[in-house]
Amino acid sequence: MTLHVLSPGVQCTVQAAPRAGFRHAGVPSSGPADPVSMALANRLVSKPASAPCLEIAFGPASFRFSQAIQIAVAGATADVKAGGHAHPMHATLDIAPGDTLEIGPAQVGARFYLALAGTLQAEEFLGSASTYLPAKFGGHEGRALQKGDVLQLDAANRVPKLSTPAPLRLPPMPGYALRVVAGPDLPADAAAWGSAVYHVTPRLSRMGVEIEGKFPELGGAGMRPSSALFPGALQVTPQGRGFLLLPDGQTTGGYPHVLQVIRADRHLLGQLRPGDSVRFLLRTQAQAEVDLHAKQALLQAWLPDFRL
Amino acid sequence: MTARFNVVACGDDALTIRCGAGDIRHSLAQHLVGFPGWTQIVPGKIDVTVAFDPHTERHGDAKARLEAALQTVDAMPPPIARKHVLDAEFGGEAGPDLPALAARLGKAEEQIIHVLERQTLRVDMLGFTPGFSYLTGLDPALVSDRLANPRARVAAGSIGLISGQVGLYALEGPGGWPIMGRILTPLFDRARIDPFLMAPGDEVVLRRASPA
Repeated sequence: MTLHVLSPGVQCTVQAAPRAGFRHAGVPSSGPADPVSMALANRLVSKPASAPCLEIAFGPASFRFSQAIQIAVAGATADVKAGGHAHPMHATLDIAPGDTLEIGPAQVGARFYLALAGTLQAEEFLGSASTYLPAKFGGHEGRALQKGDVLQLDAANRVPKLSTPAPLRLPPMPGYALRVVAGPDLPADAAAWGSAVYHVTPRLSRMGVEIEGKFPELGGAGMRPSSALFPGALQVTPQGRGFLLLPDGQTTGGYPHVLQVIRADRHLLGQLRPGDSVRFLLRTQAQAEVDLHAKQALLQAWLPDFRL
Repeated sequence: MTARFNVVACGDDALTIRCGAGDIRHSLAQHLVGFPGWTQIVPGKIDVTVAFDPHTERHGDAKARLEAALQTVDAMPPPIARKHVLDAEFGGEAGPDLPALAARLGKAEEQIIHVLERQTLRVDMLGFTPGFSYLTGLDPALVSDRLANPRARVAAGSIGLISGQVGLYALEGPGGWPIMGRILTPLFDRARIDPFLMAPGDEVVLRRASPA
């Protein structure tokens, strides 16, 4: 069967598992910017947490299917319609052949995940089907989907109709308190970081999110010899601009790495949108471990194959 | 013994070994590949960063394990360096910035090509974009700045030059380094198990391809 892209929204890519183990060659992980929402969407169509999904930025997006199929949408808060009728997010939906599925625009948050009971055929590269746009790897021809694209789906089985348990529906918010640990370049007198509020600027992509606000003086030359970076890193430029890295972010960089969003909270970065406010809560390594295990435990029963 | 290497946190799931510039980074990275549990091993300019799984290992335990693995550092052999002799074209369409660099340094294009060919370069690290290789070992007399206006498209295989460093573009993409030429061997081949020809620590000699 086939999926027809009528409108891809601001950006629509195929994302699956992260691409592991090639950062030394400059290859970032890619994968969903909000992996929790992707895992929740996949769960509703009885798919593994990292089965290929469509990641849709902002929308509005619309699709049509050649045959009946079950789908699910999770992530940014948005209206979902099929055949002109409103449907809930976070639930298994039946789509009739020829019906138009409309998602968005995103009211809160930035990205939704469209999971499909059929299997999306996607190009695997270096062990992952995730799209990495700058190098044209993975997904559908290594690129974002365009109006008129037709994607092949393997036959869809009927799956049980489910809805996400209420405690796991973590709706995106216009303001975030992100838990962080000190980055390797955080100055010793870091107390000033506690109370500052930052705002997300329109410079936002799968590579990173710019935030503006008052950053403490970093001293020194404002640059460092290039060193490894991972998603969740906060870099501050000599001009006083902050960049939070997302899954397509560069693997090494020379701007000071002052904070690192902890593993437990990195999925939230995928929902930041322009104007959102961000605060940072500095945690110790021991606290970050507790935070990770607590959130993992919350997700474990419903998403047994998912790891933050 | 390990005290000369400071191990610092790089977030809650990675550790950075500050070992300084030079071959020790490549020796360390090759050494650590032999230990399970490091999910990424990424050399930087003066360090090596390793990632671990925070679901199965506590930060303090990972740090202790890393420090234990560094105990044998004095006995580590020099890095295994593959040597690549790469045919290249210089100047012309392949190297559009060679004439301007030659003019600014008051040299003939031939002289700059000769310097590029004469030296064995070392892959210092990869990064920036997939497969982009930073090579060191270049004559410091070749003073060159980044382009004021980066190019939107640099061809795969392009040879960039900024002061003291050569940069090899494995893939086509944007780039801000002045381009001196282009390598004829693909630096990236999707059919290979490791599709990138270069690895940190490798040695590179550029050799002018004979004119067709």
